Amino acid sequence: MSDIAIKVENLSKKYIIGSGTSGSLRETLSNTWHNTFGGKRSDEEVFWALQDLNFEIKQGEAVGIIGHNGAGKSTLLKLLSKITYPTTGKITMNGRVSSLLEVGTGFHPELTGRENIYLNGTILGMTRREVKSKFDEIVDFSGVEKFLDTPVKRYSSGMYVRLAFAVAAHLEPEILIIDEVLAVGDAEFQKKCLGKMGEVAKGGRTVLFVSHNMNAIKSLCNKGLLLKNGGLDYSGNIEKSITKYLNSYEIGSPDKELSFPINPELQMQLTSVRLSGAKSQPLEVIDVFGEAFIEFEYLVRSADSTTVINLDLEYMGSIILRSFDCDVQEHLYQHRPVGTYKGRVKLPSPLKAGNYNVFISIIKLKKDYIDKPKRLSFIVEELSFNSDSKSYAKWRDGIIPGILEWSQSQI
Amino acid sequence: MSYSTIDTSKKISFFDIRELLRYKDLFYTLAYREYRVRYAQTFLGFFWAFLQPLATLVIFSFVFGKAIKVDTGAIPYPIFALTGMVAWTYFSFVVSQAGRSLINSQNMIQKIYFPRLVLPLAQAFVGLVDFSITFLLLIVAMVWYGITPSPHIWYLPFFLLMAIIAALSVGIWISALTIRYRDFMHVIPFMIQIGLYATPVAYSTHYIPEKYQLLYYCINPMVGVVEGFRWSIIGQGAIHPYTFISLGIVIILFITSLIYFKKVEKVMADII
Repeated sequence: MSDIAIKVENLSKKYIIGSGTSGSLRETLSNTWHNTFGGKRSDEEVFWALQDLNFEIKQGEAVGIIGHNGAGKSTLLKLLSKITYPTTGKITMNGRVSSLLEVGTGFHPELTGRENIYLNGTILGMTRREVKSKFDEIVDFSGVEKFLDTPVKRYSSGMYVRLAFAVAAHLEPEILIIDEVLAVGDAEFQKKCLGKMGEVAKGGRTVLFVSHNMNAIKSLCNKGLLLKNGGLDYSGNIEKSITKYLNSYEIGSPDKELSFPINPELQMQLTSVRLSGAKSQPLEVIDVFGEAFIEFEYLVRSADSTTVINLDLEYMGSIILRSFDCDVQEHLYQHRPVGTYKGRVKLPSPLKAGNYNVFISIIKLKKDYIDKPKRLSFIVEELSFNSDSKSYAKWRDGIIPGILEWSQSQI
Repeated sequence: MSYSTIDTSKKISFFDIRELLRYKDLFYTLAYREYRVRYAQTFLGFFWAFLQPLATLVIFSFVFGKAIKVDTGAIPYPIFALTGMVAWTYFSFVVSQAGRSLINSQNMIQKIYFPRLVLPLAQAFVGLVDFSITFLLLIVAMVWYGITPSPHIWYLPFFLLMAIIAALSVGIWISALTIRYRDFMHVIPFMIQIGLYATPVAYSTHYIPEKYQLLYYCINPMVGVVEGFRWSIIGQGAIHPYTFISLGIVIILFITSLIYFKKVEKVMADII
C-alpha cells in the first residue's frame, strides 16, 4: 500500500436525469404521494457516468486521463477531488490532495489582487502562512505586481487569469488533480503554465491531468488512463493510451452528415453536406494538420447565371474565411445547367484547435439567398504529436496558422 | 502524510472536526471577504452599519415608545429596545446570510472541495461585526441615560453563545434545505419579518398571557435569548423557567441541523 497514491475500487456514479429532479417542494410532495399511493413514476431516467471503475496510481506517477466527451473524465475528477460523492465503491488516497478544476475559484471582483491571492489560496487548501511564504513567488509568476492593490474587476481578462493561475501553480500537495485549465491566457503564458506543471510532475508528486491537448498530455504524463462510456478502456503506457484513443476516432460515427428534405419551390437546393477525410471517410474531429473536406450535393431545377455556392468558416464567433465555388470554376458562374451536382472543397490546413462551424449556402449575386446557410460543426484537435515546431499550432498567434509558401536561398 | 478514504459501504459518517480545523484559515478569509465586500464602493461605507440599527431604533421609539407607550418600567424605552435589538439583529443577519450562503457559492461548491459547513459558519462570524456595532450603540445610549449594567452582566456571554447557536442552527437548516428546495429562500425574509414581532424586541413578555407563554418560548427560542440579554444587561425581568425549554430547543435544532447538513453535503454539488 505504501507506494500507492490513489486506489479506486468498484467506483460508480449514478445521475438521475429527466424531470422529477428539479427539486421544487411541490414536485417532491407529489412524488412522495405517488410513491406512497401507487402510480409509478416513469419520467425518471438513470445515467451511469462511471461504472465499476478499478485502478491504482503509484506515488510520483503523472497520469493523463483521456477519453471522448461523456466518457466520464470530469465525473472521475469530481469524485477524486471529493466535490461529489460516489454512488458505490471506494477511493483511498494517500497524501494531501489539491484539485484544480477551474482557475480563480472564489475570486471576488471587489477585492484587490492581494486579497484574492489569500482568498483563492485558502480555498485551494493552503493555510494563510503558506500563502504568505509563497506570496512573492506568486506575484512574480503572475506579473501583475503593479496592480496588486487594485480590485480585480478592473483587471483585463488576461491579468485575471494570470493571477488566478499563479496562485494555483504554487500549490504543493502530494496529489494534484488538474482539469483542462491550461487552455487559458495567451500563448506565452500557456507555455509557462505547462512548464510549471511539468516541474510539479517531475518533482515526484502524483499528478492527474485531464486534457484534450495530446501534446500537453504527452509531455507531462508517463501513464495514461483511457476512459470509454464510464468504464476503463485501457491503462498503461501514455503513448499506447494516446494511440488507442486516436484510433477510436477513426470509427467516428457518420451522424455528422446533414441532409435536407426536397423543397420543389427552391430554384437551387442543397441536399446534403458532410465532413470527410481524404478517402471520403466521414469525420467529425480532425487533426490540426489533417486533411479534411466538405462534401456537398445540390440540385439545380432551373438554369441560371450569377449563382454562387458560398462557404463560410466560423471560429470563435467570427467568420475567418469566405470562399466561392466560382473562385475556381468560373464557368458555373456564367451558366449553371439543370441537374444534380456533387462536389467537395478542401479545408485549409493547419487549423487551430477548437470548435468550428461551416456554413454553406447558395446565393444569387447581388440579390439574396437561393438556399439559406446550412451549418455543419466540427472539432479540430491536436491529435498529431510530432514535436517539431510546426505542430504547435495552438501556441501560435493569429487565427489561421497557415503555412505559407516560403522560399529563400542564399545569394 | 495524510490519508483519506471515501467508502460508500460505510453508512455512518460524522463531522470531521479535525478537517474543519484544518480549514480554519478559509473560514477567516471567507468572513473577511464578506465583511470587505459588503460596503465596497459605497459613499457612506461603514457608516451604513450604524445607520441601519439607528433607524430601526428611532422607529421603535416612536411607534412603541411614544405612540403605543409600551411599559418598560424604570428603563428608558430606547435602552429597552436596544437590549432586544442586539440579539435580534445578530440572529436575523446570520439566518438570512447563512441561509443563502450555499446558494451564493454555487460555483465554488461545484469546482472545489472544502468542508461546506465553513460557509454558514463564516456568516455567524461576520454577524459578530454587526452585533458589536449595535452593542456599541447600546453602550453609548446607556452612558447617555446614565444606566448602570445589572450585576447579572456576567451571564451575557452565555446568552450570546445561545444566540449564536440559535442563529446558526436555523441558518444551517435553511442553507441545506435551499439546496433541494429553493422555496426556503423565499421563506427567509418572511420569517425574519414575522420573527421580529414574535420576539419581545420592541415589547416586553408580560404582554403575553400566561397560558400562551409556554407556546411562545417553544415556537420561538429567540424569546429566551432576548429575555436573557435584557435580564443580564439591564436586570429587567427575570429568567423565566421556560428559558431552559428555549435552550433545549436550540440544542435540538443545532444537532438536527448538523445531521441534515451532513446528509445533503454528499449530493450538494450534484443538485445545487
